[in-house]
Amino acid sequence: MARNLVAGLLVFVALVVQVTVLNRLPVRVVPDLVLLVVIALAAVRGANAGMIIGFCAGLAADILPPAGGVLGQYALVLCITGFVAGKLAAHAPLVATEVCAVLAPALTVGVGALITDDGVGWAYMRTVWPWVALCNLIAAPVVLWAVRRLHRERRGQAVLMPSWRRI
Amino acid sequence: MRDSRRARVVFGALLTAALVLITVGHRGGDSSVAGPLRQFASTVFGTAERATTTVTAPVSRFFSMLGDAPGAKDRIEGLMKENAQLKTKLAAADMNKGRAKELDRMLGLSGLGHYRVVPAQVIARRHTAGFEDSVEIDVGSRDGVRRDMTVLNGDGLVGRVLRTGPGTSTVVLLTDPGSLAGARLEGGNELGVVSGLGENGRGGNLIRLRLLDSTAPLKRGRRIVSFGSQNGTPYAPGVPIGEIERVDVTPGELTRTAYARPYADFTALDVVGVVVRAPDRDPRDSVLPEEPRKAVPGKKDQAKDKQKDQHKEKQKAQRRDQAEPRDPAGQVNEPDPAAEPRQSEGRD
Repeated sequence: MARNLVAGLLVFVALVVQVTVLNRLPVRVVPDLVLLVVIALAAVRGANAGMIIGFCAGLAADILPPAGGVLGQYALVLCITGFVAGKLAAHAPLVATEVCAVLAPALTVGVGALITDDGVGWAYMRTVWPWVALCNLIAAPVVLWAVRRLHRERRGQAVLMPSWRRI
Repeated sequence: MRDSRRARVVFGALLTAALVLITVGHRGGDSSVAGPLRQFASTVFGTAERATTTVTAPVSRFFSMLGDAPGAKDRIEGLMKENAQLKTKLAAADMNKGRAKELDRMLGLSGLGHYRVVPAQVIARRHTAGFEDSVEIDVGSRDGVRRDMTVLNGDGLVGRVLRTGPGTSTVVLLTDPGSLAGARLEGGNELGVVSGLGENGRGGNLIRLRLLDSTAPLKRGRRIVSFGSQNGTPYAPGVPIGEIERVDVTPGELTRTAYARPYADFTALDVVGVVVRAPDRDPRDSVLPEEPRKAVPGKKDQAKDKQKDQHKEKQKAQRRDQAEPRDPAGQVNEPDPAAEPRQSEGRD
């Protein structure tokens, strides 16, 4: 339960920081913090939790105030991303995180191109996606490290408590 | 196995939900599901966003400042430079305007008296209390300025040229204790000598007038013009000098002394003119400023003026008489022989 709360809080903070701080920095491209948090949470907690967190985070991102996109679009993308990241992270967490961080923006653009018709597509992929991918690539290990650290502390506390699974 | 199967089911369900949401949102717009959801989100996230922005505004401002910093410095420098330039220009424009006005007035004055002047600007001033009072102007022998030429400005007499260089000349001012100038009272023929007082001009910048005729009426407010010398040097005739401000009572002396306030402001000289050629005829009082409110001519002067006016009237009448005989028919009548001597008398 505590982990879910932490996840929810993390996603919430990521959403707010993304729109209030990161997006207002005077640089052209910024890392997608929500995406990275979702990927990191999925990598730490597995595919099951990852896809649910992804879905919820995506839904939240879809209804976040300065949002005009189609409802559910980002939920779909983050759901898939969380699932894939959780699956891959069972073998190689860091690589999985990086791969998802790079590919997820492309997936977002792909879904967006499919369900909306305002011209985002190939041009965006060519001009903006490399930079976004690079940003995410750099920021992903940091986010992963922070989320892991948060969960390790939680896990350390949890180890002291008798868990129902062990009984 | 069971776990992974469950996961797949959940995954499928979530994807379906997402797709359904997309579809519904796509078709219904904000009216159906998205509306209330977004309403709720804007309440929750909006509050959080506002709070965060309040907290992080200085930070983001700092970052944006950081981003702008290299350009901002250039811009600040550029703006400062531009500002300084504009300020200089503005001051110069103001100054130029003032100078143009002064020049205008001076030219007006010189035009009134038919002086031929070379405009000049005061570039330096030497002022030793009680000894000398002179300025340097930016015209010299190259511009036709010679020694002892009269210098005036829009208000009146300033001084005379003491020394000329090729491009500059020294002008000794009227207020210099060593300068003497012949003067004449307005409207009359009383002659006198004007000399500077230097710093002794009590109350600043008065000049002394010694009237040669001790019996002449000398009143406050009468105006003085320059008397003029031979060939217009050192002083051209008819240049306004000043107004009598105080008359000293000096019984038993051969001359009478008065103190006059010069028209020219000697503390703020800028545009002056050097009279390179004095008028052929003495302009007498015609150059004096147009405001005779303070001037109260003595009775003698008034009488004289009246006489003069009468004389003029007579002359005019004569001319009219002369003109009338030429009738429209074009016949030229011989002038009345009786009028001949009178006419020559009137010409004088």
